[in-house]
Amino acid sequence: MKRIAIALSAWLAVITTAHVALNVDWDVIVNDRLPLEKRKLNVAYIPVT
Amino acid sequence: MFQGFPEIKEALMSNKMQAGFMVAPMAVALRAQGVPIKIVYLGHRYGSAVVVQKDGPVRSFADLRGKTIAIPSRFSDERLILYRAMEKHGLTDRDLRMVEMAPPDVAGALAAKAIDAFSMGEPYPSQAEMAGFGRVLFHAREYWPDYISCVLVVRQDVIDTKPEAVQTLVDGIARSGLWLDNPPKKKVRREHAADFVGRFYFRQNPKLLRWALTNPLDRVLYQPLTPYRGDFELIVRLMRETGVLDREIAFEEYVDTRFAEGAKYVTEWRYEPGDHAAE
Repeated sequence: MKRIAIALSAWLAVITTAHVALNVDWDVIVNDRLPLEKRKLNVAYIPVT
Repeated sequence: MFQGFPEIKEALMSNKMQAGFMVAPMAVALRAQGVPIKIVYLGHRYGSAVVVQKDGPVRSFADLRGKTIAIPSRFSDERLILYRAMEKHGLTDRDLRMVEMAPPDVAGALAAKAIDAFSMGEPYPSQAEMAGFGRVLFHAREYWPDYISCVLVVRQDVIDTKPEAVQTLVDGIARSGLWLDNPPKKKVRREHAADFVGRFYFRQNPKLLRWALTNPLDRVLYQPLTPYRGDFELIVRLMRETGVLDREIAFEEYVDTRFAEGAKYVTEWRYEPGDHAAE
């Protein structure tokens, strides 16, 4: 039982770390928390030339 | 990166995005509705086309009578270009069935024969041509000299509080335009731009962008990008005539030309394919 719990926890930790590293855009999150005058502009576009 | 113009509109209105590229009539309509944004520069000129099925029955614009054609938005130049063509060929909007569709979906819809044609910006006409199921019926320039589609809009609060940041953004676009349209190096540079924009920004096959940017080289132009009064007065007139703008609106109300003026004397980026950084 203990082994299963450890394996599950390890798997959860790996998946969480991978998600946080690959799917979260930290630049955007950090930028959104800066004071207004220090924020970078977010420029929206769609993939057309 | 967004997949459609309505999402960009929402992101700008909610201040999730402070600037964005959108079709010119949408920017004008938003300003007319009181949304605090201004057009400060253009994204490009030309680069829109009407595409039909390659082996389908449509051989001329008049053959589109009774057909279904996709457009990116009611508030788009791609819709207005259809009205210009309809006027020339004696058709009215009752002769065509226009449906709004997100740009990335149109080539697939044409391939599946869910639509008969689409009026869209690049690289979607190129996508249909490259894949072999689409044929360009006409490019926008055939009915609309100096055609513009996407414009750069910025929230008014950003213009008021951070004009230097807006100027930096506009200068960068101007320098990129000069770099892409430099006559002797145009082909090599466009091929290079297609490669890195495709891979790192658009997440599209670089071959597709290479087709759009070089086949032929003037398929999309990046100069002049200054928003001229005459171009926009034509757009406003067509919007009024086709029922998507319910009041007159002065050029100064929706365009701020000071940033284009400020970018008038910038020079192209000092960068060649293979360099590590642009200056």
